[in-house]
Amino acid sequence: MQQVQEKSAEAPQGQAVPVGSAEYNAILTFLYEEAALLDQLRLSEWGERLATDLVYTAPLRHTRLGVDHAKSFVRSVMHFHDDYRSVMGRILRLSGKSAWAEDPPSRTRRLVTNVLVRETAKSDEFEVVSYLLMTRSRFSESHVDVISCERRDVIRREADGTFKLAKREALLDQSVLGTANLAVFL
Amino acid sequence: MLTKTSQVLSDGTKISDLIYPDTREVQMRVLSDPEIYQIEMEKIFGKTWVLLGHESEIPNANDFMVRDIGGDSVIVTRDKNDDIHVSLNVCPHRGMRVALTDCGNAQIHKCIYHGWAFRPNGDFIGSPVKRECMHGNLLPESELGLKKARSVLYGGLIFATWNIDGPSFDEFLGDAKWYYDILFLRSDKGMEVLGPPQRFMVNANWKTAGEQSAADGFHTLTLHRWLGEVGNYAKKGDAAAQESDEPDLTPEMYGVEVSSPHGHALRCIDLARKIRRLTGLEPDDLSIQEKLNALPPAGMTKDMVEQLARNLSEDQLKVLTTMPPQVGGMFPNILFGFVYIPQPDGSVVGSMTLHTYIPRGPDKLEFCNWIFAEKDAPEELREKMLKQTIQLFGTSGMVEQDDSDTWPHMTLSAKGAMGKHMTLKYQAMYETGKPAGWPGPGIVNEGFTKDDTQWHWWLYWNELMSAE
Repeated sequence: MQQVQEKSAEAPQGQAVPVGSAEYNAILTFLYEEAALLDQLRLSEWGERLATDLVYTAPLRHTRLGVDHAKSFVRSVMHFHDDYRSVMGRILRLSGKSAWAEDPPSRTRRLVTNVLVRETAKSDEFEVVSYLLMTRSRFSESHVDVISCERRDVIRREADGTFKLAKREALLDQSVLGTANLAVFL
Repeated sequence: MLTKTSQVLSDGTKISDLIYPDTREVQMRVLSDPEIYQIEMEKIFGKTWVLLGHESEIPNANDFMVRDIGGDSVIVTRDKNDDIHVSLNVCPHRGMRVALTDCGNAQIHKCIYHGWAFRPNGDFIGSPVKRECMHGNLLPESELGLKKARSVLYGGLIFATWNIDGPSFDEFLGDAKWYYDILFLRSDKGMEVLGPPQRFMVNANWKTAGEQSAADGFHTLTLHRWLGEVGNYAKKGDAAAQESDEPDLTPEMYGVEVSSPHGHALRCIDLARKIRRLTGLEPDDLSIQEKLNALPPAGMTKDMVEQLARNLSEDQLKVLTTMPPQVGGMFPNILFGFVYIPQPDGSVVGSMTLHTYIPRGPDKLEFCNWIFAEKDAPEELREKMLKQTIQLFGTSGMVEQDDSDTWPHMTLSAKGAMGKHMTLKYQAMYETGKPAGWPGPGIVNEGFTKDDTQWHWWLYWNELMSAE
């Protein structure tokens, strides 16, 4: 079955990796495992799965008319604008003694779905699109913050067969985020 | 028109009785009472000048953006004559919002409900089916436009107010303007936004953020102590410091604090240590120009510092090179940060940011964060400033994450039957006054940070809330 092409994508897209294939399942497992590591607060183990040339961003979203849909993604100022060094700095802070935004930690649930994988010009890299729905429960609040986004990743297979996250762009849905900060990773 | 009775809450309490001048306390009821919130919308956000953004966000003719004055949505436009206008985003016909997007470009703003149309300056153009006269003839067309606010540009920042006959913007800033000019009017070409603002909701009363912005220095020592433990102010490689469990952020707490009878506040932090560390030179032996070259102001390069003498007075340059304003606020809901952030390689990268805390109900605020650079700052510096500011401030900022998780708890505390009678205390008082030779105006004190600036913020809140 034909996978949905990105409308008005500039570069021609690579061959789809069929849903359910061995390659697809290996990448899906990587996504499930990283969600588990983050939900279980195993941040340094998650950090080991990041490539040292990581680009990690989360654009702003604007409410725009339908004809201007492409402009609803803002990539000048963003919510995250990080690289490997800064993400590791965030992990260092969150693992320290005084990261009050996440201590006591939120109870999070990262639901990862709608995963589509494509090959790229590089044989060891895959473009992976996934939907993320995160619920974030803090203190005794009965409601949870809901953080939803589409993640556009580049996932790289290392020489030893394991995977690393080389790029992540999290396209958040809300123009005004309904959570008090992004002290959690998307 | 507000009457004198609005100074008294429905249970008979006078608003001014919630402030205890003798002991410098504020009853926490002010952080949760819905009635107080409603009065604030009229007496504070209906009266003062409110920051809406920067003109560089709408650079072209007919560009517009939608912003907020308190609880009112407004359309901010640039017309074809390059003038900025601020109008209430409410169709005068049936109350529909006219602009439904965050921003865009439109020669005509047409309400989608019944089709009334308006120019970027808010003037009424017409309604559909002109011959049938949908808008009637009871009111002249000149009265059918969008409600217009009074607006002003200051360093490109767009401020507006509904107080059409009230104080001018300069009067509103008062003595504090002398210091704000050092930040916002220092360069030849001025500053610009690096993009639209980050926006997110915090379940807290707007004043929890507003009063902190009036230069709360002390909270840095505890709430942001990670900065000294593992962050930018950690003493890496210093064996003695590493042996100690206690990070020491106290050197950053010395300087001069400026407050104002209008609730504005600035923390001017001693720059001498940074200059010593970067250059090995003794700042007292350096001229103003040598200090500017040794450590250009946050967001500037050595090549840009020659502009400063053209735009600032000798006295302002003296303050900029010894005790520059780095953090503070503008009443009622603005925080500014013009900070020098230490880098791992020993250098310093500036960060220029402004926040507004938009009231969204008694226990809700919207955090709005703009990031700036000088228009002629080199691309490499802009990129560094942008990334660093996003990583430290705003939505995912490692510093301000902790603030936005603190304010909701204060707001919850203020809801308790007992908690609301507890007080916020501002009892750390300066007894120093101005340092010798200090050239700037205003209420000025030197030394370790104190509570005076925040207390003055509350005094102005009380003055506005108690006004007829």
